[in-house]
Amino acid sequence: MRIAVVNNCVPFLRGGAEYLAETLCEKLTEHGHQAILVRLPLRWHPPQTILHSILTSRLLQFPNTDRVIALKFPAYYVRHPDKRVWLLHQFRQVYDLWGTPLQGLPDDSQSRLLRNVIIRCDNQWLREAAKIYTNSPVTQQRLRRFNNIDSEVLWPPLKDTALFRPGEYGDYVFFPSRLSAAKRQRLAIEAMAYVRTPVKLVLAGPPDTPAEPQQLEQLAAKLGVAGRVVLMARYISEAEKGELMSRALACLYPPYDEDSYGFVTLEAYAAARPVITCADSGGTLTLVRHEETGLVVEPRPEPLAAALDRLYRARSEAQRMGEAGQKLVASLEISWQRVIEALTA
Amino acid sequence: MRVLVCTTIMPFHQGGAELLADWLVRHLRARGHSVDLLEFPFSPRPDQLLEQMLALRLMDLSPYGDRLIAIRPPSYLVRHPSKVVWFIHHHRAAYDLWNTQYGDLTSTPEGLRYRDAVRHADRVALAEARKLYANSRVVARRLEVFNGIQAEVLYPPVGDPDRYACTAYDDYLLYISRLTPHKRQWLAVEALQHTRTPVRLVIAGPPDPGAEAYVWDLKSRISANGLSGRVLLLDRYLPEQEKLELLSRCLAALYFPYDEDSYGFFTLEAQHAEKAVLSTTDAGGTAELLRDGFNGRIVPPDPQELARVMDEFYLDRQAARRLGAAGPARIQELGIGWQQVEQKLLT
Repeated sequence: MRIAVVNNCVPFLRGGAEYLAETLCEKLTEHGHQAILVRLPLRWHPPQTILHSILTSRLLQFPNTDRVIALKFPAYYVRHPDKRVWLLHQFRQVYDLWGTPLQGLPDDSQSRLLRNVIIRCDNQWLREAAKIYTNSPVTQQRLRRFNNIDSEVLWPPLKDTALFRPGEYGDYVFFPSRLSAAKRQRLAIEAMAYVRTPVKLVLAGPPDTPAEPQQLEQLAAKLGVAGRVVLMARYISEAEKGELMSRALACLYPPYDEDSYGFVTLEAYAAARPVITCADSGGTLTLVRHEETGLVVEPRPEPLAAALDRLYRARSEAQRMGEAGQKLVASLEISWQRVIEALTA
Repeated sequence: MRVLVCTTIMPFHQGGAELLADWLVRHLRARGHSVDLLEFPFSPRPDQLLEQMLALRLMDLSPYGDRLIAIRPPSYLVRHPSKVVWFIHHHRAAYDLWNTQYGDLTSTPEGLRYRDAVRHADRVALAEARKLYANSRVVARRLEVFNGIQAEVLYPPVGDPDRYACTAYDDYLLYISRLTPHKRQWLAVEALQHTRTPVRLVIAGPPDPGAEAYVWDLKSRISANGLSGRVLLLDRYLPEQEKLELLSRCLAALYFPYDEDSYGFFTLEAQHAEKAVLSTTDAGGTAELLRDGFNGRIVPPDPQELARVMDEFYLDRQAARRLGAAGPARIQELGIGWQQVEQKLLT
C-alpha cells in the first residue's frame, strides 16, 4: 500500500511525535509498504492563524495515495477516502487546558469562537476516519469525554528495544528529556540538595531555549550540588541514551501533566529500571505503579530526594521494581508488529 | 543560516524536482546551514487546482527561518518575508501547453477560469519573491514571455558531482533516461541501423507509467532489425552504482528528447564523466550545455546524420575522448555547482 503519514510540525523543531512519525514510516516500509511523511506546519500565534492551518489541512489533496494515517491536530482534518487516525494530540488548549493557566489563548470572544470551531471540526472530521486509535488511555478518555468519539488504544512502541538492555544498577539516576520548564529539571536539581546518599543525577537532552543549560548549571552551583549533577545539554543518540539508561540506578521523569505516557517510561522498563515520577505528572502515571514498578511522589524536592536515597540504599528494590516494569510492558504487547497490523488492516 | 526549503510533490513519484530538493537540502546542510524541508502533496487535476493553491497560500511561514526557498510550482504561494524561488517549470497546461493536446486545460469557460487563476496566482506570488531564478534559459524565457518577469538562470548541479569517473572508452553508446515517447530512444535504435561500424548501444531507464506499449515497440524494433546482438535494453531503474559503472566505460552518451526545458541531468552526468554527448537540434535545453564540436555534437534529428556521428565516435576514439574531456571545463564555464547555488540562493 502507498501510505501517507500526516503530522503537524513546527519547522526546525523535532520532538517525540516527530520521531514517532518518522519511525512509523520506516516500519511501514520494512513491512513492505511505501510510506511518506507529510508535515503540515501549525502556527497558533496569533490565534486566528490556527484557522488557516485547519483550512490548509482540509484543502490539500493526496493524489496517488492509497491511505493516509493522520497523527495530530489539525493534520487529521485531511480529506481522503481511506483515512485512519492514530491520535497523539488534540488541541488541548481548547479542551482539558481550557480555563487553566496553560490555556495559552487570550480569554476573549475570539478565542471562544475558535474553541467552538475546533470542537466542531473535531466532532465532524475525526469521525470521517474509518478507524481511530489513540496513543494512551488518557487521550482515549479525553476524546470520549469531550467529543463522544470512541477509539482503541494503540501504544506507540520504542523504535529499537534492543538498545535498552538491563545492565548493572549504577550510582546515578537518569533523566533523559528535552531541557524544558514543563519537564522540571529544576525540581530534580533542587532534590539533589536534600539527598543524603552519594547518588548522582544525569540530565541529558537538547535545551528548549539557549538560556536553559546555563540557568540549570547556575542552580546546581548555587545549591552546591554541581559535583553530583551531570548536565548533557544536547541531543543524544538513541544508542547513547540506551547505554546511559542500561547502567542507571533508576530513571527519573517528573514532568508536569504530560499528556502521553512518555517514551521515557518504556525505555526505562525495557532496561528494567524503575521510574520515579510525580503525582501530577499526568500520562506517565498510566504505566508507573507506585511501589510496584517505580515510585510516585509529591512534586517537591524533599520527597523526591527521599525516593532517590531509598533506591540508592536498596538496589535490590530498584531491580525488583525495574523487572516488574519490564513484565508490565511485555503484558501490554507493545510492538511495531501490532501497530503496523492495526494501521494497515 | 536557517533555511526552509519548500516544494510540492506527487506522492510516491521520484522525479527530477524531488531529487533537486533533496540534493539542495543535503548540500546546504553540508555547508553548515540549518535546513528544514517541507514537501506538500499536490494533484495536477484541474478541478482540484484552486483549493490546493488556496491551501498553500494560507500558509504563512514568516516566523520560521531566515530564508525560504521554493522549488516546484506552486509551492511559491506560501508566504515568507525572505522568499527566493528557484523556478523549474510552469504549470504548463496554463501556459505554453494551454489548449493543446499536451495539456489538460482547454478553451472552455472552466478551462479559461482555471488558466487565469493559475496565471494570476503566479503573478502575485512570484512578484513577492526577493529573487527569482530559473533552471534554464528556456524557462527564463517563458517567465519573460508569459509573466513579464526577469529571472536569472541558475543551473541545477547533479547530486554528487564527485562520484563520476571515466575509466575507459568502450565500444558502446549510452542512453539513460526514463523510457517514454518524447525521450525518443527509438531514434537511437533507428540510427544504429544506419551505422557502418559495429558500435553498440545501451539504453537504460525505468519505463514511465503507461509506457508499456512504447517499451514493447522498442523491443520489437530491436529484434525486427536484427540488432539484438548490438543493443542492450535495460528497462528498469538503475541503481546508482550500476549507472556510474556503465557511464564510466561508455564511448559517448546520447540524449535525444524532444524540446526539453532544461539540459537533462543525464547530459550533465555524462559531462562529469568526461563523455561526449550527442544530441539533436530540436532537443531544447541540451543546447545550453553542449557546444557542437567542443564538448559534444548537435545534429538534426535524422537517423542517418546521427549514425554518421556514432560511427565517427567509434572510428576516432581520440576525438570522442577530446570532446568528452572538455565536459568538466564547460560545467565550470557555466558556473554549475553547489557552491554557486548556495551563494545565489542565500544572498
